[in-house]
Amino acid sequence: MSTVQHPVEVDHVTKTFRRHHDRATSLKQFVAGGRRRTYDEFVALDDVSFNVRRGEVFGVVGHNGSGKSTMLKIMAGILHPNKGEVRVHERMSALLELGAGFHPELSGRENVFLNAALLGMTRKEITARYDEIVDFSGLDDDFLDTPVKTYSSGMYVRLAFSIAINVEPELLIIDEILAVGDIDFQRKCTERFLEFRNAGRTTVLVTHDMNSVRTMCDRAVWLDHGKLRGTGEPGEIVDGYTESMTGSTDRVAKLGSYREGSGELQFTAARMLVDGEPRRSLRTGDDLVLELELTATSPIDDPAVSVTVMTASGLMLSEPCTRDADIVLGRVDDRRALTVRLPDLALLPGEYQVHCTVSDARRHHIFDRVHSAVTFDVMAGTPLEQFGTVSLRPQWTVE
Amino acid sequence: MSLRSAAAHRNLLYLLSLRELRTRYKRSLLGWAWSLLNPLVQLGIFSVIFLYVFEQNPPVGDPSGLQSFALYFLVGFIPFNFFSISIGASIGAVQGGASLIKKVAFPHEHLVLSVIAAQFVTLMIELAVVVVALLIAGNMVLPWLPVVFLVLVLLAIFSTGVALLLAAGNAFFNDVSYLWTIASQLLFYSTPIIWNPETVGNPVLTQVASWGPTGAFVMALQELLYDLQMPSALRLLQLAVYAGVSFAFGAWAFNKLSPRFAEEL
Ligand SMILES: Nc1ncnc2c1ncn2[C@@H]1O[C@H](COP(=O)(O)OP(=O)(O)O)[C@@H](O)[C@H]1O
Ligand SMILES: [Mg+2]
Repeated sequence: MSTVQHPVEVDHVTKTFRRHHDRATSLKQFVAGGRRRTYDEFVALDDVSFNVRRGEVFGVVGHNGSGKSTMLKIMAGILHPNKGEVRVHERMSALLELGAGFHPELSGRENVFLNAALLGMTRKEITARYDEIVDFSGLDDDFLDTPVKTYSSGMYVRLAFSIAINVEPELLIIDEILAVGDIDFQRKCTERFLEFRNAGRTTVLVTHDMNSVRTMCDRAVWLDHGKLRGTGEPGEIVDGYTESMTGSTDRVAKLGSYREGSGELQFTAARMLVDGEPRRSLRTGDDLVLELELTATSPIDDPAVSVTVMTASGLMLSEPCTRDADIVLGRVDDRRALTVRLPDLALLPGEYQVHCTVSDARRHHIFDRVHSAVTFDVMAGTPLEQFGTVSLRPQWTVE
Repeated sequence: MSLRSAAAHRNLLYLLSLRELRTRYKRSLLGWAWSLLNPLVQLGIFSVIFLYVFEQNPPVGDPSGLQSFALYFLVGFIPFNFFSISIGASIGAVQGGASLIKKVAFPHEHLVLSVIAAQFVTLMIELAVVVVALLIAGNMVLPWLPVVFLVLVLLAIFSTGVALLLAAGNAFFNDVSYLWTIASQLLFYSTPIIWNPETVGNPVLTQVASWGPTGAFVMALQELLYDLQMPSALRLLQLAVYAGVSFAFGAWAFNKLSPRFAEEL
């Protein structure tokens, strides 16, 4: 009988979320609601099992919304599975989002203490490591006494990462954070990773950069719509994953996304094209084409179609609509294909999602709205900017 | 509330409490003085209403003989204010802690406990001021202070229970914070702070005051600080039971609900 204890054991984990139809969750609903369900169950992780071995860098890959962050949050003890369990046998430090646990009004110094305390350190331990933390972050002493709300996002990450790695964890959990820092800092982090691994410690890493999965990871898992598609050698996992991305036709129905509307008109396909090819990622400055297909179950005159471009965290960036462009679709009684071209993409690196909506001409009544009909990643292109969401096409002049 | 995880994070509790105090008082040198302004303004308003609009005589302390509406009001208002602000701020702390809760695993009850701790510090400062005022007015309250402290600790435990319950409830139903604003008003007027059960002489109101959760605490403190008299053993037992039941129930509910904060907030 094997008695090896892995640092992380993920054992048949299922996690469902409630998606409330009405964002305003009120007591009245709760009291009056009775049997009426005002939410859908959404399965974010479906019976997932794997082990992370001691001393390895373990990658988690999958498209947006496949459950990677959910998995990491369960490992970190922030979320709790509905079924199964995750056993973590090591002192863990998790770095899940930018500026985890920073309080904007407090100074950098105070935040170091607060953050390290959140990770469970005692006052003595923090004081002993304080210098090392500051050193690694590379922040000036002056900055440490100003409130962190004045920091750039790069400074945030540097400080946060510096704290997380200097609390001497045996297990480090990182969700897509390294993409943010500057090149110098990224190199420093990579070095630290290697040191970390050489010291026999374990890292679990989510990243969209398939190259770092190939070069840094010892093993990887691939999550797809909450299901485990494979565990193993990172090269194989990355190949499988990339293949599935480019080969996918993105039928809306297959996406199984959350949708609403009365249904007289429905989206039957939505996909993104770059240079005429179906793709899941593109670069800043590329021309993005969205190809949509509508199918009518009963004839509708003059519907309006709009696409909502949003960040992964749900911030609406733009909502081009056929009405605003005075495009008239006429009577739709069968199938209708349409495309919208978004030239010279201004979006900076990150994850984005597109909701597709078809409504009546006045945009009051919704026939169909598909949430996250298309999700895509933007990688660095031109113009190249380190931080932010959109490029405002800066044109510098220096006297 | 796992005691072990709470103990492992006691440093966090200390820092969060400090943060509570610091962010509140940081902005001005007179910060601490500001904390006394609210009671004083309330005092001014209610003094005018009580003494001039309704032309009431201030209650007479028995056996102290003290007769001052201002001191009667402050002795009741300060603990009530502690209770009411603690709950409101706890609800806000859990709601405002959403970004923390979604990113870091830590004992969520510390968000509430740190509010209570910080408010308790404020309460002690306000109490010190009132004690000085009482001494100047000739009430020798010093021997009673240990019992006063005991009652305030029970009040803090009681408040913690209510705060845990409502802060957890509010994570699921936003209306809780609105309902609390209303409930706190009702509690204020049903507690004998701007009125005196003996002067009013209405038996129903006296029962409400005496059994009402905040009324029981306030009346015990009025006996100690205003009347200079030991509350009955029954009263102290009542307070202990209120504190125990509230804390047990609040902690139970909070424990049950807090694992889902990260996805509901
Ligand atoms: N708190 C939540 N409530 C409802 N749905 C959620 C919540 N958190 C995540 N989800 C959903 O779960 C799915 C998986 O999300 P996530 O784990 O963040 O994916 P990934 O990190 O792989 O992009 C997504 O469809 C997301 O919308
Ligand atoms: Mg994610």
